[in-house]
Amino acid sequence: MTATPTTPILRLSGIDKSFGAVQVLHDVSFDVRPGEVTALVGDNGAGKSTLVKCIGGIHPMDGGEYWFEGAQVQVHSPREAAALGVEIVYQDLALCDNLDIVQNMFLGREKRRGLVLDDTTMEEMATQTLEGLSVRTVKSIRQQVSSLSGGQRQTVAIAKAVLWNSKVVVLDEPTAALGVAQTAQVLELVRRLADNGLAVVLISHNMNDVFAVSDRIAALYLGRMAAQVSTSDVTHSQVVELITSGRSGDLGLARSNGVTA
Amino acid sequence: MRCPVAGPYDDDVWGAMKAGPSQEEIRRHNLGTLLRHVHIGGSMSRAVLAERMGLNRSTILGLVSELGSAGLVREELPRDTGRAGRPSLVVRPESDRVYVLAFDVGVDRLAAARIGLGGVFLDRREISVPAGRRDAGKVAEVLAGAALDMVDAAGHGTYCVGVAAAVRGMVRRPDGLVRAAPHLGWEDEEFGEDLMRLLGLGLPVSVGNEASLGALAEHLRGAGAGCQDLLYLHGDIGIGGGVVTGGQLLSGDQGYGGEIGHMVVNPRGGRPCGCGANGCLEAEAGERALLEAARRDPSATGREAVHAVVEAADRGDITARAALHDIGDWLGIGVANLVNVLNPRTVVFGGTLREVFLGSAAQIRSRINRIALRASRENLRLRVGELGDDAVLIGAAELAFSEILVGPLETLARAGA
Ligand SMILES: Nc1ncnc2c1ncn2[C@@H]1O[C@H](COP(=O)(O)OP(=O)(O)O)[C@@H](O)[C@H]1O
Ligand SMILES: [Mg+2]
Ligand SMILES: [Zn+2]
Repeated sequence: MTATPTTPILRLSGIDKSFGAVQVLHDVSFDVRPGEVTALVGDNGAGKSTLVKCIGGIHPMDGGEYWFEGAQVQVHSPREAAALGVEIVYQDLALCDNLDIVQNMFLGREKRRGLVLDDTTMEEMATQTLEGLSVRTVKSIRQQVSSLSGGQRQTVAIAKAVLWNSKVVVLDEPTAALGVAQTAQVLELVRRLADNGLAVVLISHNMNDVFAVSDRIAALYLGRMAAQVSTSDVTHSQVVELITSGRSGDLGLARSNGVTA
Repeated sequence: MRCPVAGPYDDDVWGAMKAGPSQEEIRRHNLGTLLRHVHIGGSMSRAVLAERMGLNRSTILGLVSELGSAGLVREELPRDTGRAGRPSLVVRPESDRVYVLAFDVGVDRLAAARIGLGGVFLDRREISVPAGRRDAGKVAEVLAGAALDMVDAAGHGTYCVGVAAAVRGMVRRPDGLVRAAPHLGWEDEEFGEDLMRLLGLGLPVSVGNEASLGALAEHLRGAGAGCQDLLYLHGDIGIGGGVVTGGQLLSGDQGYGGEIGHMVVNPRGGRPCGCGANGCLEAEAGERALLEAARRDPSATGREAVHAVVEAADRGDITARAALHDIGDWLGIGVANLVNVLNPRTVVFGGTLREVFLGSAAQIRSRINRIALRASRENLRLRVGELGDDAVLIGAAELAFSEILVGPLETLARAGA
């Protein structure tokens, strides 16, 4: 509802997802716009990570539509998501401790020159990506990941996600395990990604993080999208209400008899 | 920008009406503008310069070679772009040759830096000092000593083209008289004159308010780069402010504009402020208020003290959380008022307010969303400063560079090149 709306680059509508008999996502719609940070919030178990895994092609969706750059698409695997330009940084980072930064950034997608790995090119690309993100905290890109702090690991994981000319980057609780200083670093990086034109989805439980960097807030409540609002239109307590009860005044899920959700 | 040049080009057509700019004035203006582009934007090709300045390529070529033979820019191959094909030359500022001296009179730190054209830190000195009253002459002596040391180390073939200092106080325009810097106990100090005399470089010393210069720095090189309407809040001993509107730093009639910290947000029963009023934003939301609300030793001020509160809140300390909650609310009230008056695109929180913002963004934003006018706030961006502790020093350097960016050749000639 800003004066200069951008069209969503990624749009999900009517997403359903069940694990066995348990329906985890109900008719979820979700828009993500370039140049913006969309915060995805919700209580534990609300379905945030599941939604993200549907976006990333890890979980097949039971129903609903996946639109990308204005066209409906099918995403059945992480590879297909990556091909669109959608990268996910999962909660459990999946970095390999015993490999260095470059090796991690190219894991599974190594550049080859004939049969040998093209180290120079990979190093150059890694360096350029980190520089482009103004990351100055890592000493050497040939450092083992095990020697990095939590914030640096997040940084490497994020750099890995943007290395491939991605257009949408989804970060599942990137600051959850970090202290104040490292959180600040990661938030700055998140903001910079969006200011550089990427569409960023940030999952966080910390309302200060959400209000500090997001342009829009999407609140999931028991597997339903309670509201997706502009960050300049809501207050902290409204967002907390959306998270804890699915509604706040005129915002949120309609009060309905029958659906206990 | 006024130039006394009048000459053969001031012909009758213009002479009959208001005198138009002469060819020489235009050229001087173009030289300054080109230098500003590479100073702020970094190395760029002549083609890009032509496009940005709206001039044809042969004019750009002439300007570049003139600046080049003066030693202000150099053309070279770009750093490896990783792309195939023959790269075109880029115009780069001569950062190692042409520099300014920048000073920051901080609360517990005196800083001096030698900063090259293009904004590159070439050398810096920092002297820790106890917070509190300090003789202006002594401060000038310490800073001049550090600066002359750096000038010596710079050696032959380098030119100092400007000097500027930042102080936490009210600075009169245009003479730079420091009217009041309460935390130092300064009143009507001719600090710039002192520095100029001690440096003996034959260059005047510009003096500016620290938050105004921080605003300038974030506007040119930081979180507000490319943004013409910016509000900057700088936290250290108090809350300083700087306003950029339409790309111009707001100074007011005599240079005292932008004192956001003394905007009264709580006049009835508000906390007493150092300025004598009650309920100033600085009194309600400054460092001292935060530390008192968090029940910490309010004399242990400074970055570490603020950091400790934000960290405690993050670990769940209820008192620290409540304190940040409260301070965030006051900051939101202050910013919301300014958003209504100034309609900034970006609000930047710098100095210790960077951490305060990250620790209380929910309150700040909520308050703004409740009380600022919707049309004014809907495209508003809240950002933390990108230049960290160096913002003020970088701003001072930009002030010192202003001469050479207006008249490059004249300024360089005056510097003895
Ligand atoms: N692979 C799975 N198999 C079965 N249930 C799952 C699986 N993944 C998530 N769930 C369930 O789905 C619900 C939503 O979980 P999740 O998406 O992780 O929530 P959030 O990330 O919001 O905390 C939870 O009840 C969780 O137990
Ligand atoms: Mg989760
Ligand atoms: Zn006051």
